[in-house]
Amino acid sequence: MILLNILLLLFLADKVVPFENAEWTAPMDCLRASEMCNQNAQCSSRFRIMRQCLVGRDRSAMLENKECQVALEVLQDSPLHQCHCKRGMKKELQCLQSYWTIHMSLNEGEELYETSPYEPMHFSDEFRLASIISAIGSASSKGTVCPESVNSCNPCLDAAKACNLNAVCKRQRSAYITACSRSMPIALSPEPCSRKRCHRALRQFFERVQNDLSYPLLFCSCRDKACAERRRQTIVPACSFEEKSKPNCLELRRICRSDALCRSRLADFHMNCQTHSITSCPNDNYHGCLVSYVGLIGSDVTPNYVDANHANITISPWCTCRGSGNQETECEAFLRDFRENACLRNAIEAFGYGADAGFLPFTESHSVAPSEKPNLHPGIITKPDIITNDVKPAESVCVFSTCANLKDGAEKCSPSSSFECADENILDSTMDGSIDSHQSENDRQSSAFLSSVSTATIVLSVVFVIQVV
Amino acid sequence: KRTKRARKGTKPCSLTDKEVTVSQLGLGYVSDEVILFRYCSGKCVATRRNYDLALARMKGQRVLSRENVDRARHSPCCRPTAYEGITFLDNHSRYHTIYEVSALKCACV
Repeated sequence: MILLNILLLLFLADKVVPFENAEWTAPMDCLRASEMCNQNAQCSSRFRIMRQCLVGRDRSAMLENKECQVALEVLQDSPLHQCHCKRGMKKELQCLQSYWTIHMSLNEGEELYETSPYEPMHFSDEFRLASIISAIGSASSKGTVCPESVNSCNPCLDAAKACNLNAVCKRQRSAYITACSRSMPIALSPEPCSRKRCHRALRQFFERVQNDLSYPLLFCSCRDKACAERRRQTIVPACSFEEKSKPNCLELRRICRSDALCRSRLADFHMNCQTHSITSCPNDNYHGCLVSYVGLIGSDVTPNYVDANHANITISPWCTCRGSGNQETECEAFLRDFRENACLRNAIEAFGYGADAGFLPFTESHSVAPSEKPNLHPGIITKPDIITNDVKPAESVCVFSTCANLKDGAEKCSPSSSFECADENILDSTMDGSIDSHQSENDRQSSAFLSSVSTATIVLSVVFVIQVV
Repeated sequence: KRTKRARKGTKPCSLTDKEVTVSQLGLGYVSDEVILFRYCSGKCVATRRNYDLALARMKGQRVLSRENVDRARHSPCCRPTAYEGITFLDNHSRYHTIYEVSALKCACV
């Protein structure tokens, strides 16, 4: 309960608009910070000098310049020093560029890890819901977990199906696959595909498709080779991952750090997937690690599964430590963060096994968390097996199957509305009656049950708000 | 749907969804991936023109010569007016795109 109230306070704090003349220390995004800096004559001139300092010079050369040093000192007291960026915000690239203008010179030039420009991640309700959905699914042999009894089970195939039945996911998926497999006639170009275009399409896919559809394609759990090969193929590695030669990892990192977006995503990955103990991620936030891993896909250090081994996952970017010379140790360390990262591995495995593997770090099993928009997305937080015992879900989970039958092309399959789509289908005159009465009966039951839970959630979250305010 | 006659009539021309595996499409691709196949079905009674009425009468009255008249249709067909493609991974781990394999819009033409 206390935890929930803290969560809610955080969420309210986010919504508080800072005063116009707020302290410089108030956290804000770097776009606003640079705007504020530009309104101040001294700050804006120093900011301009700083940008010029960074053009075509490495850090040590820059710091020898007196003018650059002074500019840096002034800017350290400006809002730019404390600013952050949000993932997927508008003008994200501009924000990141402002960030690195200051932080490139503050960071030790060749250090292993840099600070992430992104805001620290909070545990999102949407994701918890997704893991619960997968828990519901697993009970009906449709989720991301294989029941022991079923022989032909392929969660990666189920993930593909779920994506195909959703209009947005289907469109975006075929967009990136097309971009990644378009081959010019061999006579015209030796390249099998346009890597750049492929990477852009992949980034777009993960930005625009909701996580509970895109993540299962990447992180499905596998028990056989066919499934693991499908998982490995998710990002079309022939184009987005493999190249003719393997570059040196430190060279790859250098290339990545010359690009604001890649540099930010890499720093973010290092921050959120740092192995702290034997098993855990920073703050036990598995989800945070997965998000920053996905953030790297479509960048210069695109990571992937190295083989179709289902028993033992190995992740790596496409690079090697051969020819590192005296930087061998540093290179090995960089590669180890991908290949032997317990946090990343556990996060992936936990995702595959749904809700009972650390995605619900709650001591109370019957707690209900207020969601960000209580009236739109009630976060249903109950013990998954309550749902599975009381209501036998229909053969297919409502979220994945019924929304595909809704007729408004670009529907957002939000769980709160999708639990009602079972009823809509029955009324839908264009259905060809393929739903047998037994299944629709089940659907109706579960939708009634879940909507009652949602109502409870709304009521409870209103109570919380009253409590806090 | 108020009258008895309306209730008896089948549904008008519209899109219907069916979940099928790519293999079931019968186009020679072997893949267990499930896609949403949409097709057009339904009656086109409401959109008959004078042409259709006249043709039907003349066929009935044997006014037209019998050679090809049986193939002349006296009501519009429910057909797709727009299509979409599908993209999938086959069982040999290769991606394919099949264009214009599923209906997007239907109309009586």
